[in-house]
Amino acid sequence: MSDRTFAVVGLFHNATDLMAAIPRVRAYRLGTVEAYTPYPIHGIEAALGLRRSPLGGMVMLAGILGCVTALFFQWWMSAVDYPLVVGGKALFSWQAFVPIMFEVTVLFATFTAGLGMLLLLNKLPFFGHPMLSSQAIASVTRDKFALAVEADNGTLDVEAAKTALRAAGASALEVLFVPAEEPISLQSQFRTGAGILLSCAVAGYVMYWAIKLFPVVPPMVHMEDQPRLDAQRASAFFKDGHGMQQPVEGTVARGQLPYLIKTPFEAGEKLVNPLPRSGPVLQQGRVVWNQHCGVCHGALGNGVPMLTAAYGAKPANLLVPPIRDYPDGKFYHTIMVGKNAMPSYAADLTEDERWAVIDYVRALQRAQNAKDEDFK
Amino acid sequence: MNASRDASAGVFPIMAAVGALGVVASYFVAEPARFWANWLVWFIFVLTIGVGCLFIVALGHLVAARWSVPIRRAPERLSGLVLLALPMGLIALLSLPVLYPWTRPEAALKPAIAGKAPWLNVPFFSIRVLICFALWMLAYNIFTRGSLKQDKTRDPAFSLRARGFAPAFMFIFAFSITLVAFDWISSLEPEWYSDIFGVYLFAGTFLAGLAASALLVINLMERGRLPGVRNDHLYSLGGFMFAFTVFWSYIGFAQYMLLWYGNMPEEIFWYKQRIEGPWLNVILLLAVVHFFVPFFALVPKDRKNDPRSLRWIALLVLSAHFLDLYWLIVPVVGAKPPLSWPELSFALCFIGLGMLWVRRSMTMGADMPIGDPLLQEGLEFRS
Amino acid sequence: MQPEALLLPAVTIPEPLRAPAIVEGHVTPGSLDDQVLQYPARRPPAVWYVALAFTASVMILGFVLIGYTFYMGIGVWGNNRPVFWAFDIINFVFWVGIGHAGTLISAILLLFRARWRNAISRFAEAMTIFAVMCAGIFPLIHVGRPWLAFWLFPYPNQRALWVNFRSPLLWDVFAVSTYFSVSLLFWYLGLIPDIASLRDRTTSKVRRFFYTVFSLGWRGAASHWQHYEKAYLLLAGLATGLVLSVHSVVSFDFAVSLVPGWHMTIFPPYFVTGAIFAGFAMVVIVLVIVRETMDLKNLITMYHLDVMNKVILTMSCLMGYAYVMEGFTAWYSMDEYLHHIFMQYITGTYGWAGWLTIACNVLIPQLLWMRAVRRSYVGMLFVSLAVTVGMWFERFVIIVISLHQDFLPSSWHIYKPTLVDFGILAGSFGLFFTLVLLFARVLPVIATTEVKPLLPGAQPAHAGGHHE
Repeated sequence: MSDRTFAVVGLFHNATDLMAAIPRVRAYRLGTVEAYTPYPIHGIEAALGLRRSPLGGMVMLAGILGCVTALFFQWWMSAVDYPLVVGGKALFSWQAFVPIMFEVTVLFATFTAGLGMLLLLNKLPFFGHPMLSSQAIASVTRDKFALAVEADNGTLDVEAAKTALRAAGASALEVLFVPAEEPISLQSQFRTGAGILLSCAVAGYVMYWAIKLFPVVPPMVHMEDQPRLDAQRASAFFKDGHGMQQPVEGTVARGQLPYLIKTPFEAGEKLVNPLPRSGPVLQQGRVVWNQHCGVCHGALGNGVPMLTAAYGAKPANLLVPPIRDYPDGKFYHTIMVGKNAMPSYAADLTEDERWAVIDYVRALQRAQNAKDEDFK
Repeated sequence: MNASRDASAGVFPIMAAVGALGVVASYFVAEPARFWANWLVWFIFVLTIGVGCLFIVALGHLVAARWSVPIRRAPERLSGLVLLALPMGLIALLSLPVLYPWTRPEAALKPAIAGKAPWLNVPFFSIRVLICFALWMLAYNIFTRGSLKQDKTRDPAFSLRARGFAPAFMFIFAFSITLVAFDWISSLEPEWYSDIFGVYLFAGTFLAGLAASALLVINLMERGRLPGVRNDHLYSLGGFMFAFTVFWSYIGFAQYMLLWYGNMPEEIFWYKQRIEGPWLNVILLLAVVHFFVPFFALVPKDRKNDPRSLRWIALLVLSAHFLDLYWLIVPVVGAKPPLSWPELSFALCFIGLGMLWVRRSMTMGADMPIGDPLLQEGLEFRS
Repeated sequence: MQPEALLLPAVTIPEPLRAPAIVEGHVTPGSLDDQVLQYPARRPPAVWYVALAFTASVMILGFVLIGYTFYMGIGVWGNNRPVFWAFDIINFVFWVGIGHAGTLISAILLLFRARWRNAISRFAEAMTIFAVMCAGIFPLIHVGRPWLAFWLFPYPNQRALWVNFRSPLLWDVFAVSTYFSVSLLFWYLGLIPDIASLRDRTTSKVRRFFYTVFSLGWRGAASHWQHYEKAYLLLAGLATGLVLSVHSVVSFDFAVSLVPGWHMTIFPPYFVTGAIFAGFAMVVIVLVIVRETMDLKNLITMYHLDVMNKVILTMSCLMGYAYVMEGFTAWYSMDEYLHHIFMQYITGTYGWAGWLTIACNVLIPQLLWMRAVRRSYVGMLFVSLAVTVGMWFERFVIIVISLHQDFLPSSWHIYKPTLVDFGILAGSFGLFFTLVLLFARVLPVIATTEVKPLLPGAQPAHAGGHHE
């Protein structure tokens, strides 16, 4: 305890006495007068000349800030950064944003009220106040009221303060001193800092490993263990032990009809091209040709492939006899079952695409064998 | 002070007369739907002020509140507006064939309306209206007439009787205000339904009663007719106005947001009518005057009991309640919010009539319920 | 009009209208401290240990079953298609609702200046926090992968995905966490001066250290009280908004959907009313236990219980109104799906639950019209227990009945809860009561700082000081 006086404190037995004493003690103008009470007293702020609390304005501002923040973030996240149409709602669904705006407003406002009051306005926590180590404090938090004349600028006329308080009706006078300053040594500062850094490092290391390992221990990995058939896995369900099986004999893919024709001759006799040689059909045929057929048969259908000669097989030239004269059905048969090195393209083309490309081949054939009338 | 009172006394009969002429003219000139929509809006407005004031009186009796006793005569007098609403309501029954689709034969073709016929038919509707009025008259008799009698007899037994009747009135109020909402307002569009609608009208009704009472109390305070009544007594009125501004907005928003979210055609059409096109301006204005302005105006603690601020806030709240009813009811008339001489005539007529009615009620009994045993404690109340 | 109105003759106020004594008997601030603050200082009686052993075992059972659910998956519960939500959400809504009574008592009643709230606000706020803790467990455990619960928070992540702000389930995350933090703050701020009292009374060095730290060096300075009171009032006002909004947001979970019976606009105020209703019933049950076992009958008086029972009665009538409105609107809507579900509420497989709900929530509480019932332990405990059960079943009715038979009959399926469901529900009660017991042991159950100003002579005498 240093020698500098902090305050002189006097005790009163009830609120009425305290309130009567305040103006009398203040009249002496010995220093700031502070009261200590076990509960708030009506009218004491005016009596002590305290300024209005600015907390209301602070809280209002914080609330508005919370509202605007919530609105902005929801808008930015939902309509700008990663816009997703959910439930057919507009990207900026302000109606849906209101509940969170409200909650964040309240959150910001309440924490400003609570923490602003404690930290900013009352400057708590603070454990060094001389009142906390006084005799009076135990009575104050129980049932007595105290009035303290505090030293302004470090000086206080203790005797005058004692007289003033006694005259106003105080009992149990006490002088409080400013606590002695103990300088914090460099060594203890260093120790504290090192301790904090070490704890952070240890905590960080532990957390790193926990987060890293946590997702790979059961039950977190249980979803990876699914009782379903995965590709290329064995299965005890089937006789041959394979998980992957061929489709049952006679399975027909969707959108496909079974192709029962056995010979090209039969195909040529029976199948009729249902698609007219109109513009859109020929366009579609051209697309299909360039995607699937031109690679081997050439862009013009003349058997000169886009591949290099090293390919080996010789694709047919579709523009010259006898192929030129084949009926459409024969072409269809070749597409469906393949021929020589050409595999079946049944799975690659829909029925429409097959006929369309046959129409296109006809166009190619005509293009390479044009007659004079075609130019008129 | 007396001179200005007499001067203003002359204004209201003139307003009422001029307005009445315009109302009658609009009956013949304007289309029937528009005339009856205006009539309905004013009827519900006057009714909700009256019933709202009855609610305030009943609430005070129910919890044996002290702060409300010195100022209770104001809502008691204003509850007399229910008597003005009675003829307005009976005349409004004539609007049924014009405004309400379920009265028309083609309603039988729509299953959604035809199925409601056991409830929505003219005889049953009228019976419900009459029962509600009968119950409100009963409450008016018990609360207001009883309180006026207590001025003379000073008999504390009335206070006990009123306190005993108050819970019963709460039941009456809950169901009657719900019926007003469902029958008069929501059945204008019988395919629509929302079960919070009664609560929504309750919020507006309570606010209307509070605002009207506050205006009357402040008027009397400034004329020195309420000795002993201080700003402290106004605090709760201001506080309730603040709380119920928030409550009304909450209910209104909840109803809107839930129907917006579900986006069901059979529910959302009601809102589409009211927030699209020119009506958008009305709903935006309503949000401003019914929520934003009163909310921020009443947030500071000092405003809640300051008569000067409270007066204009109360006036705003009352006007906002009117705008609310206009926005609820008038869209059935057309896509454009009507605002012309018919609407002004109705305003002049019924504001004039209403003010005359209120002035007449000012002669009833003392300005404070002097027979109430709690009056002394009420006057000592400090907020 | 008449100046003589001020000079009123002395009137005897009839007894039913008289302002009741908030505190019975001769209580001074000092005796109040001695009576209330003795408990944190001394050893609790044997019955406390027995009770704690029981509640803690039930709680641990619940946690074990939660761990079992984590390990095995949600399949160990009764949830199925289409009853995707069952006990998990019922319990969540139930516990969040119970929390609301505490905030209403401490915040809303403060704004109404109802002085009777002061003796019970501390306990009520504590119950709020414990109830919200119980509630928060359920959304956490009912997701398939609870260890990924942090995905619910909007933080920048490598999934390049933000949370869905249009979902009421996310609004719940914000609402319930805000409610919990604000209630905790509100409760703690109220505790600070009381902890300061404990600090100045205690003889134990260890306790003194903890009390010093947690009282933040509070010294009762008038300049501090000024800001403190303002903060407390602001928090009360803001917490009031939370009471309305949190359970409304919970109701939005249901009302924004299109499930028949859920898409009713009345849900927000209906849920809030139900929450206050269930919460007050729980407060009554706990307060009866507290005032008897801790000999606080002069502070938690029969008047307190009487008023709380009146609130329960009021809420019961409001619930009745809501049920009538739901029933009427179910018919009025002419929606065949809504018709069907409403009939299921009262005549289907679970129709017994519908009737149980009506009986417990609307019929039994009508007993509280009688003063004798309001003021007798048997009466009020019977009603409060009925309300607790009834409100739990109300959520059961809303959730399970509406889900088990919605639009497509081919999807209809009966719901049967499993033992794990029941065990976790019991565990939540165990957690709640364990926390209550611990709270009563460690901290002052009555806010002495709030009751002291109500005692006679507490405030300075000045002309006309009647406070409401």
